Amino acid sequence: MNTFVVANPNKCIGCKACEIACAVAHLGTSVATAGFIDAPFSPRISLVRAEMVTMPIQCRQCDDAPCANACPVAAIVNQDNKIVVKPELCIGCKTCIVACPFGAIDVVPRCQNGKEQMQMSLNVITKEGKENKEVMVAHKCDLCAGRLGGPACVEVCPGDAFTLVKPEVINDSIKNKRLSSALDIIGK
Amino acid sequence: MTVKTEGIIKIDKELCTGCRRCTGVCPVDAIEGEKGQPQTINVERCVLCGQCVQICSAYASAFDEDIAPREQKMEERNMLPSVKEPLFASYYTGHAPTVKKVLVNNSLFTMVQCAPAVRVAIAEEFGMPLGSLTPGKMAAALKKLGFNRVYDTNFTADLTIMEEGNELIKRVTEGGVLPMFTSCCPAWVKFIEQDYPELIPHLSSCKSPQQMAGALFKTYGAQVDGVDAAKVYSVSVMPCVCKKFECERPEMKDSGYRDVDVAITTRELAQLIKDAGIDFNGLPEEEFDKPLGTYTGAGTIFGATGGVMEAALRTAYELITKQEIPDVNLKLVRGVEGVRTADVKVGDLTLKVAVVAGLKNVIPVLEAIKAGKADFHFIEVMTCPVGCVSGGGQPKVLIPDEQANAYTNRTCNTYVHDENMEYRKSHNNPEIKKIYEKFLVEDNIHHLLHTKYTPRR
Repeated sequence: MNTFVVANPNKCIGCKACEIACAVAHLGTSVATAGFIDAPFSPRISLVRAEMVTMPIQCRQCDDAPCANACPVAAIVNQDNKIVVKPELCIGCKTCIVACPFGAIDVVPRCQNGKEQMQMSLNVITKEGKENKEVMVAHKCDLCAGRLGGPACVEVCPGDAFTLVKPEVINDSIKNKRLSSALDIIGK
Repeated sequence: MTVKTEGIIKIDKELCTGCRRCTGVCPVDAIEGEKGQPQTINVERCVLCGQCVQICSAYASAFDEDIAPREQKMEERNMLPSVKEPLFASYYTGHAPTVKKVLVNNSLFTMVQCAPAVRVAIAEEFGMPLGSLTPGKMAAALKKLGFNRVYDTNFTADLTIMEEGNELIKRVTEGGVLPMFTSCCPAWVKFIEQDYPELIPHLSSCKSPQQMAGALFKTYGAQVDGVDAAKVYSVSVMPCVCKKFECERPEMKDSGYRDVDVAITTRELAQLIKDAGIDFNGLPEEEFDKPLGTYTGAGTIFGATGGVMEAALRTAYELITKQEIPDVNLKLVRGVEGVRTADVKVGDLTLKVAVVAGLKNVIPVLEAIKAGKADFHFIEVMTCPVGCVSGGGQPKVLIPDEQANAYTNRTCNTYVHDENMEYRKSHNNPEIKKIYEKFLVEDNIHHLLHTKYTPRR
């Protein structure tokens, strides 16, 4: 079973610290201060603010990932207990965005070492002429793969709103429910 | 007396999510609003420390609909159009475009000063490690930007020690109002004026180092360069948002002109350097200009909590005892606790001192003083959590854990800088000796270097 992160809307205070931590964790370069950021934040988690609810939404790492099943070029794979986009294979077709029931996927410019990657020959035609188009790729939570402290959003949340749901958490929960079902049946 | 506080620190209604984390760091409960709704700042209460700006994480996202365009927001905030960093809900109105204009105005003679804490933080904005110590690169960058004189607030920090040290000795020996409070931190001064006006006589009459420098630039500084004081434009670079308020106080014009024309923050200086296309990290180190840029280790530790106290004690000890202080490192007043107290033996006298960091921590101390239960001689108070290195105008560290590291490193390198200085006691600063010989006499000392405070209740 895949691991995933989920937030408790009753604990979320709507501060967006998770979005910033996410964006900073994926910059690929060490950035500490706002002044050193020279591009818009590009988080893989998104705070939803509506009348009834405030909570961040991110990938559920579905075990039967509809995004992966819908991908025409097999650029989304299940690796190390999570659903991962392989940006070098992604063609930016947006099928995964349509397939995802949570709204957890975006398509964003592909960056390497803080630099936007450009298309080999695809141009954008404008009134002034033509220019190389940026490479766009699917963008989603990767549970901060390779980050020592685990997912940055979980670590930074001032409301302690996140739970890192590992397979054992689900298994324990199922076992406990089964036990209480059995106890219910014998009336204890 | 009216002083404009409105509009210095604001919360952008379109960006604020009402998470209210800022209310947890505001030392004067000036942020008002319902949870989940945009907050507003009570400008009467606000002491302009800028800690709300540091903690705010509600940024303008590409997905935010129905908000004003970035260009419009940047104009409202008076930011340079070249700034690329994200915009957050809590912000201060800037002055970088004003400084940019002044620097190309050839009819003005520009003088700049930099506060102690700026040199241990500005490099962070260029990707260098947190707390990097770069006074030489900072001086070089200011020269490249085109300032005619690159002076230093550290010089007037030394001067503050001379004046404040003498004031303390006088109060102790002649039975003046005790304990004496430091007056370098403008947010602390505003707080006393509005919340404890009855304690105003405890505040040292010394102006802050920023304002002493401003008053000297347009008098002594103008004399040194043989320029008309009316043509001198005085800029300060501060780790602090409240310095923008302090320099606009109507009484701060003892040079005959506005002493400090404009105050910008550490972040704004970094923005100006980037805007000018200067490669900060690659700059060869340069010196500050003489005479108003010469400083000692005592001047530079003003940036850390306990630093003003330590610098004052180094000088007071030697002035009172006429002997060399046994150990110049007075570690008993260093630290990060909100309130530190110490008894310091100075000859036959035992000076009882207290150091307070974080404005909220001072309230029990003030109540004890009012109740006659505190017998301190001298109390240093800084509004920000660990002094000016953690000021509201310093680079905004995005991740809380890294913010703690930044504060530790900035403090640590402040003391490293002190240890490596040729002179470490303010009274040994050769330019301080010279200014008392050549320029400062009883009349202008009082006029240029001291001030009065205003009850605001």
